[in-house]
Amino acid sequence: MKFLKSHLLEKVPMKIDTSKLESELTRLGLEVDSIEKFKNKSDVLFDLDLTPNRGDCFSVLGIARELAAVSNKKIKKESNGLIASKLTPNSKVKISAKGACPRYCFIEIYNLDNTKKLPSFIKERLEAGGINSINPVVDILNYVMLDLGQPMHAFDLNKIGKQINVRFAKSKEKIHLLDESSKVLNDKCLLISDEREPLAFAGIMGGIKSSVSATTNSVFIESAFFAPKIIRGKARNFNIQTDSSQRFERGVDYNIQSLALVKATNLIKEYLSGTYSKISTVEIKSNLPRQKLIDLDLNHLNKKLGFEIKLSKLKKYFEALEFKIEHNKKNSLKIKIPSHRFDIEIEEDLVEEIARLEGYDNIPSIDLKTSSSTFRSSNYIQTLNLKKYIANQGFQEVINYSFVNKKSLIELGISEELIELKNPLNENLEVMRTSLFPGLLKTLKSNLNRGENFMKIFEEGKVFKKTFSAREQNMLSGLIFDQDKKKNWSSKKQFSFFDLKKFVVDLLNHLSAKEIVFQQSKNAFLHPNISIDVIKNKQIIGSFGRIHPKINKSIGLKKNFFYYEFLTDALNFKNKYKISESSKYPSVQRDLSFVIPGETQFDNLDKLARKLAGPNLVNLKLFDLYESSEIKNKGSSFAFNFTWQSKFKTLEDKDIDVLVKSIVEGFKEKFNATLRS
Amino acid sequence: MDLAKLKAGLKKDFISSSSSEDLQKLKVKYLGKKGKITNLSKQLGKLDIKQRPKAGKKINELKLLFEELNQSVSQKIEKKELETAISKEQIDVSLPVDSNYIGGLHPITRTIEKICSYFSAKGYLIEDGPEIESEYYNFDALNIPQDHPARDMHDTFYLDSGKLLRTHTSPVQIHAIEKHKVPLKILCPGKVYRSDSDPTHTPMFHQVEGLLIDENVNFGNLKKELTDFLNYFFEKNLQVRFRPSYFPFTEPSAEVDIMDKKGWLEIMGCGMVHPNVLEMSGIDSKKYSGFAFGLGIERMAKLDFSINDMRVLFENDLKAISGK
Repeated sequence: MKFLKSHLLEKVPMKIDTSKLESELTRLGLEVDSIEKFKNKSDVLFDLDLTPNRGDCFSVLGIARELAAVSNKKIKKESNGLIASKLTPNSKVKISAKGACPRYCFIEIYNLDNTKKLPSFIKERLEAGGINSINPVVDILNYVMLDLGQPMHAFDLNKIGKQINVRFAKSKEKIHLLDESSKVLNDKCLLISDEREPLAFAGIMGGIKSSVSATTNSVFIESAFFAPKIIRGKARNFNIQTDSSQRFERGVDYNIQSLALVKATNLIKEYLSGTYSKISTVEIKSNLPRQKLIDLDLNHLNKKLGFEIKLSKLKKYFEALEFKIEHNKKNSLKIKIPSHRFDIEIEEDLVEEIARLEGYDNIPSIDLKTSSSTFRSSNYIQTLNLKKYIANQGFQEVINYSFVNKKSLIELGISEELIELKNPLNENLEVMRTSLFPGLLKTLKSNLNRGENFMKIFEEGKVFKKTFSAREQNMLSGLIFDQDKKKNWSSKKQFSFFDLKKFVVDLLNHLSAKEIVFQQSKNAFLHPNISIDVIKNKQIIGSFGRIHPKINKSIGLKKNFFYYEFLTDALNFKNKYKISESSKYPSVQRDLSFVIPGETQFDNLDKLARKLAGPNLVNLKLFDLYESSEIKNKGSSFAFNFTWQSKFKTLEDKDIDVLVKSIVEGFKEKFNATLRS
Repeated sequence: MDLAKLKAGLKKDFISSSSSEDLQKLKVKYLGKKGKITNLSKQLGKLDIKQRPKAGKKINELKLLFEELNQSVSQKIEKKELETAISKEQIDVSLPVDSNYIGGLHPITRTIEKICSYFSAKGYLIEDGPEIESEYYNFDALNIPQDHPARDMHDTFYLDSGKLLRTHTSPVQIHAIEKHKVPLKILCPGKVYRSDSDPTHTPMFHQVEGLLIDENVNFGNLKKELTDFLNYFFEKNLQVRFRPSYFPFTEPSAEVDIMDKKGWLEIMGCGMVHPNVLEMSGIDSKKYSGFAFGLGIERMAKLDFSINDMRVLFENDLKAISGK
């Protein structure tokens, strides 16, 4: 809502400097978006960012009321006199849609001159209000709308029929509007029509055929009250926001129609000459909004604000707002709400009005006493700790949009059970991501282009699929890319699968994970032979490994890189970190190197070694691994370091010898292993 | 045996010693099994019984002298030897280390953590809520009926299923009321979505929503709680301003501004929970009252990390977001 300071102060005669005016409007809740000097004059242009509840402030009168209320001033009264006319209008108005239009006032003006020039104050105020000048009649109506808040519409009297009807559109009825667009309406749209055809999309925009032009000499002017709920949503649905629709959908003062029409007629008569008919009003009283009466419990008011407001002060505030106190019982007031305040409906609204006039900043801050504190860990804190750990392992967290390009998901083979956006901003943001992988790939590529050649990144967030229980699921995924050819002199090693495995094993240990099984992975993003699925209770809770070569190919990156993903919530193991007492007895170590012919997975050796080494085994290390053709039969040499320790006694050599013997025999039997000397 | 000669020899030997090995040799030479002083002690028994105390005293003096010299010389020698050893161990400590790849949390996560840790310590339960919502939770239950002009403030992304992407974290208020009993205190950080094509807005951003419901909660409490929080967040005593605003789910509603270098800066929205919201969720609005607040994480991060352009947060330039 834009207006000139001089226009406002014409309605509330007072002296106030611009910055004080700004702070007064702000403290009333009328947010000042900008203040500019208007066209090098001494006048100032205010632009307010109005909240949708304050339809009453969509006029200079409305803002003037607020200013008057807060500064203890009176509004200058409108002169509502119109020299009486004996002429009865030729048009007849019938309201078919009674609930939608409870009041319709109109007047006919004949023999005006729509080519005359309007005085500069009207032109300037319209320009300041951001309203384009069209022709004198329309400009006057718009000026009165800016001034009083009542949108009006002028029809060329010679282009409309005699029988005007306010009715709902028929399904698929067409109208050709002022902006030269055609709209196909539905039976929820309100129309002004004559015997033949629709003349205007009521409260939103007039039709082009009956519009007023420079050659118009007689007009039919409508000043109606349209119910907000009829207008609401239409402008958005049909994509035609107008000054009129904005006001009607928020609610126009239902008692101002005639006053506005008088003001407009007086201006037309003064500047465009002409004669006019009587004002004719068609109304359905029972459908007009009822004057609201709201009880205010003073205890409730004080309880809500946290301090006591004196009754005398309350009365002063209500009077300033033109709210009438109907009854004044002990501790309770009955308040009559004026017709321009559509937003006041319940007791809390009155609490806000009092708080506004008192000034939010004058309400004392009070320490809170509550009984509802919860001091316990939540998933949020678990996830945060997880993210902190991963960040401390050298991963940078990234955040990508939750929506992605559909094609990118199809290319990666993860486009099943997609959730699509009905109204995406563009094709890159058209479907919800089913995985964090595409976002990480995008981050990888953009940073490669920026010249990064070593990256450890991760993201934690929701992924979406129709088949997920709540359609969404928390995931944690990371990516490691290492093509750093010019590494720092002290660290030449390239990131390998086993670096990734160490990261995952350490992470699981850090989280006190138990009963975790590693299996060869079936994850489609990963190389089938260089990857692992992490399994808990027979459910895959994560995967990690080298990227599948087909993905390297599809994204055009030759370099091998690594990826991991976990179900975030599955990593919340809820295992308490436990401290166990250390043994008082010394530990014993033995090294055993086996040569094992053929191909054997370490996992099998490890399982057997642990089984045979007995319950006192506290550590088993593979400290050397040698795979070579030099060893007979192309076998491998595995060097184990065993550590035993008992909590109850000192282990003797003879105790250990028994175990070693059984390990050596077991390895020979199962793997045909020989002990290297 | 000429004690004086022995004494002179002893002194001379120590002066000419230059290593701990030399000292070890001296120890053998004088105090070893066949050492010169040891030999003297052995001969004591051969002396006249009257002469023995005197001679014994002299031998003792010699032993003491040896200890004295040994201590002072060995100190010097050890010091020198340590210096030599140290001087042999040299590396160029100015060589660079591999410190380019320190990981870190995203500025958004850091900001959320800063906010959550404060409210968490005050007994707020941190809640998570769905990002795919129904019209009911995102609008109706928050007192924003169909076609209400307030819906125009939310440019909503709709999904093919008739659901939508939440436009604010406020729906978590309703989930929390349904899930927990009153009184309650919750805080919910999360992603929200608006189809904003404005270049200064991103279609996805983050908010934190707070809700407190109890008996006797008032507007003064809301002011205190949020002013304390803002002072904590910005680590100074701020000038804070509350001014009337409008949210369909709070009444009275307020916008909170802080005084910045350039003037007042809008920082968060808040208000007393609207009775309709309480009643819709089956809470007696005569008995219970509460407040709710919501703030944009990007704006807080922007201020806390001096970010000029919001978009940098989602472009994921690793150098930029890691603060290098």
